[in-house]
Amino acid sequence: MTALISQETEAARDGGVTPTGPTARAPRFRSRRFRSRASTVIASVVLLAFTAVVLTPIWVLVTVSLHHGNTSPSNPFALPAPIDFQNYVTAFQNMHYLRSVGNTLIITLATAVITVFAASLAAWAIVRHTRRWTRTLYQIFVSGLTIPIFVVLTPLYEVMQKLHLLDSYIGIVLAYTATIMPFAVFFFAGFLRTVPPELEEAAAVDGAGLIRTYWKIVFPLLRPATATLAIFVILQVWNDLILPLVLLSSDDKQTVTLAVYATIGTHTMSPEQLLPTLVLGVLPLFIVFLALQRYVVAGIAVGAGK
Amino acid sequence: MQIRGRSAMVLIAPAALIFAVFVIYPLIRGVQLSFTDAIGPSGGNFVGLKNYLHALSDPTVVHALGNTIVYTIVVVVVQNGLALLVAFWLFKLERVRNFVRAGLLLPAMMAFVAVGYLWSYMYSPLGGPIDDVMDALGLHALEPIWLGDPHTALMSIAAIYIWMFLGYTATIYLANYMAIDPALIEAANLDGAAGWRRFWSIDWRLLAPSFTINITLSVIGSLRVFDLPFIMTQGAPADATQTLSLVIYNNSFANYQFAYGTTLAVLLLILTIVVGVTQATLLRRREADLA
Repeated sequence: MTALISQETEAARDGGVTPTGPTARAPRFRSRRFRSRASTVIASVVLLAFTAVVLTPIWVLVTVSLHHGNTSPSNPFALPAPIDFQNYVTAFQNMHYLRSVGNTLIITLATAVITVFAASLAAWAIVRHTRRWTRTLYQIFVSGLTIPIFVVLTPLYEVMQKLHLLDSYIGIVLAYTATIMPFAVFFFAGFLRTVPPELEEAAAVDGAGLIRTYWKIVFPLLRPATATLAIFVILQVWNDLILPLVLLSSDDKQTVTLAVYATIGTHTMSPEQLLPTLVLGVLPLFIVFLALQRYVVAGIAVGAGK
Repeated sequence: MQIRGRSAMVLIAPAALIFAVFVIYPLIRGVQLSFTDAIGPSGGNFVGLKNYLHALSDPTVVHALGNTIVYTIVVVVVQNGLALLVAFWLFKLERVRNFVRAGLLLPAMMAFVAVGYLWSYMYSPLGGPIDDVMDALGLHALEPIWLGDPHTALMSIAAIYIWMFLGYTATIYLANYMAIDPALIEAANLDGAAGWRRFWSIDWRLLAPSFTINITLSVIGSLRVFDLPFIMTQGAPADATQTLSLVIYNNSFANYQFAYGTTLAVLLLILTIVVGVTQATLLRRREADLA
């Protein structure tokens, strides 16, 4: 299978190269091509095997989670027979799963919306109104990228307490928005610098005001950047434990990660009882990843082109 | 479009306000707190540098600092080395590229909580799958109690971070690879500089931008390592997995030593800035030299 695949790859590549090379050199090439074909196959097999090893813990997570009751699995690498979902039912109830997912969705959505609008408006002004003060402000935003969350965590708790925002959606949303803001401003500003201002000027000549120009011209232009940033926000919020742990205290506002943490922390569990909780915890993001893989990869790769 | 000064201020205001109240103010307040003896989120008296002097002689902090540095060096070197290798191959092997990249990225999509508990099970001395595999290979004698032995605990956790973020780092290198002008690589291949010779003479220079990004991301991320030691070991055994962030969290939120916790946080910030600036300077000079 792999051999077939790599042969095709070689053939495709040769098709592009051969016409440019002088024909007299072709025979010498053939032996090297053969050797490189063999090394292509070996490299592919090694890489696929390596990927399988990397994915093994996730496979074990799935197989063990499907075991019945609390009978320790004799072979954690094989699917049990019969497959049993009883531990999933228990985990689902212990985690208040739908409520936790709902809470996380609300927090993610609100964070994404506020971050996208606040950061893109600010970045637009910074890029199109270049004065010393906007440049300084940009520097301050960007330097925020290096601040570890722990440096602001304790005083942030204090601030939230004074503003009566502890244990509230709006409090944790503002905390996420603020910590993601440096990256968002940096990202939108970088994107806007590559966009020529003529379109916006044309709109202004047509009598469109600032807000209208933003909404009709700038915001649609930013769409790819917005999609990438939204993915970034989703990853950040769904996987974070520390802010919910510190800022949220009541059970009915628990996020998914907090639900996993709380469920496991308060029950003594065997592996078969524990792992369904984890599967339910990671499932939403796995679905997002598989559905939007292209955007996730683009989002990660974003820095590399600059 | 030129935006006038007053309009610019209005547009920037929401972002600046949120950032100022929930990041900049807490940052300043944190520095201020570190010079007091506050316990819990209230007041405290000015005590000068007492917290800082205490921190430098606190054995837990010294341990945590050492662990954090060792951990950072191991993760940065191994993760980037492996990721470069993977990216080098994936660039060549178009057919397996998307599958391998997706497979290696999957662990990075998991929450630390889930990863922490999953690997606690993987490493478990009581029927954990890793020991199962080693038993099957006849390596029972070589099995440490992965997370319970001070010699292996920190590296066992480092291995999990590398497992999680290898795909992430490789994706960035690969994106850089694919942005390189294919003619350059093709020319080198035709000149007979294929494989590792080509890598060292050509690719290595052209990968400078992603190298800078990956080193920066992994250094900054590793220096603030928190979640897995917090979930899996709480710093045990014998402070072997104590990290700076963990000590900060435990002081502030387990013991309510707010002043001392923020003192350590300021030290972490200083360490991050010093390392960050040094490495940014070195990497930028390197990029300029290679260009």
